[in-house]
Amino acid sequence: MDTFVNFFLGGFANGAVIALMALALVLVWRSSRVVNFAQVGQAMFTSFVGLTVVDLTGSWILGLVIAIAAGAVLGLIIHFLVMRPVRRADSSGAIIATFGVLIALQALAAMIWGGDPRAYPTPVSYSGITVFGRVIAITPYDIFVIVAMVILVLILTIVLTRTKLGLSMRASAFNPEVARLSGVRVSRMLAAGWIIAGMVGAVAGVLVAPTATLSPNSFDIFLVFAFTAAVIGGLDSLVGAVTFGIGTGLLLSLVTGYSDASNAALVALILLALNLWFKPEGAFNHHKARSV
Amino acid sequence: MLTIENLSVSYGSVQALRDVSLTVPPGRVTAVIGANGAGKSTLMRTLAGLVRPRSGTVHMNGEDITGMSPEDIVRRGVALVPEGRSTIPDLTVGENLRLGGLWRTSAQRNASESRVFALFPILAERRSMRADTLSGGERQQLAIGRALMCGPQALLLDEPSLGLAPLIVTQILELVERLARESGMAVLLVEQNAATALRVAKTGIVLNLGQIVMSGRAADIASDEQLRHAYLGY
Repeated sequence: MDTFVNFFLGGFANGAVIALMALALVLVWRSSRVVNFAQVGQAMFTSFVGLTVVDLTGSWILGLVIAIAAGAVLGLIIHFLVMRPVRRADSSGAIIATFGVLIALQALAAMIWGGDPRAYPTPVSYSGITVFGRVIAITPYDIFVIVAMVILVLILTIVLTRTKLGLSMRASAFNPEVARLSGVRVSRMLAAGWIIAGMVGAVAGVLVAPTATLSPNSFDIFLVFAFTAAVIGGLDSLVGAVTFGIGTGLLLSLVTGYSDASNAALVALILLALNLWFKPEGAFNHHKARSV
Repeated sequence: MLTIENLSVSYGSVQALRDVSLTVPPGRVTAVIGANGAGKSTLMRTLAGLVRPRSGTVHMNGEDITGMSPEDIVRRGVALVPEGRSTIPDLTVGENLRLGGLWRTSAQRNASESRVFALFPILAERRSMRADTLSGGERQQLAIGRALMCGPQALLLDEPSLGLAPLIVTQILELVERLARESGMAVLLVEQNAATALRVAKTGIVLNLGQIVMSGRAADIASDEQLRHAYLGY
């Protein structure tokens, strides 16, 4: 029982990070109808930027702030330099372009920071809390990650539902023509989607880097997890991304704990296949399924 | 005043509009009637900036708006209610309205909103409900309300009667006519349902295969039996 609780608790923080990555995927999907496979590459690259700042200044929080800013800039650059030119092609062209961006970012990161895994510091302790003389598997850092995710989700919810920018972004996603006729500059809203997704991805990267070490390829597996969570959630749904992000984290922690870490990706893929088989429109999506 | 001169539009090799000239004066309704495929919707979409004309010009209060983007045209006071109840079902009624004219000052927006609620009280009642819970007639009111939120001096209505019960159509069109008269707005109304449109309009044009075949007082068009048989099919 003890082990089960430990595995379960350990999965929460991981789930929070997967939820953030899935949120970033959903934000881009909603604005551009593109699955952004470069998202983990952007998160990795901006985490390296953050680590460089931490190394130079010794300030974890400054590293986070600069990483978020870098995430926004990188999102904007990818939108203008890659996605806008390929938009005239069909949507599979755009998706393949995001793979190209992923590979380019990994190569660039390896050239700048090298291929060896680097340790990313934590702002709070990363060792188990002792409760009644027993060490449990949740650490102060895990709690920090979960709180950070909750705050970020709240901010995003407020921006999307209570501001002019959020209303413009949602209207542009649902019906670009009506949005334009209402005076919304829809092309700017696409850029806004990439910028905000880049910022959310940067936070996810900085939060997960201390637990996974940072190297050009160290986040690749999160692509599988986040993609699974986002698709099961319906790709359009922020609530779905968060719910299934955390759910995926918990499940993977149990799988890793009871069998082996190498099975985690396999389980994620099985989940994805089952979802596409039985409920292809996603659990939180009211619209009819996209057929392949 | 919306002034259209020698407007021509092509889709590939198909010419949808040929040399259309028309002025839409303030304070009243101008009707565009014609059969399916006559180019009515193309005219409206071109005026709103969704389609680029091949030649010709469009002026709004003297300013050349030809070839501008929809976002810029609506800022110059020309708002389109496109065909088929242009509401966003995933947003609430209030959000659909607020979407119109986000660039305007909050004082302007509040004034427009109270005017829309006075005109369509049902929208005020339903403001926090999703737009897909509304009936067809209510959704058309919402679509017109969204356009009015942009503070237009020229309102373009594309087939507002589509799929609505005749009584509701009459109500909505009479409301639009009163709105034009009282606020001095120029209204361009496209209708396949010619009889209803000509009742509320002062003047009108008849389009056939992209060309104007008649223009003049609405009453004259309505009473011209030959024209009705030839182009309107009733």
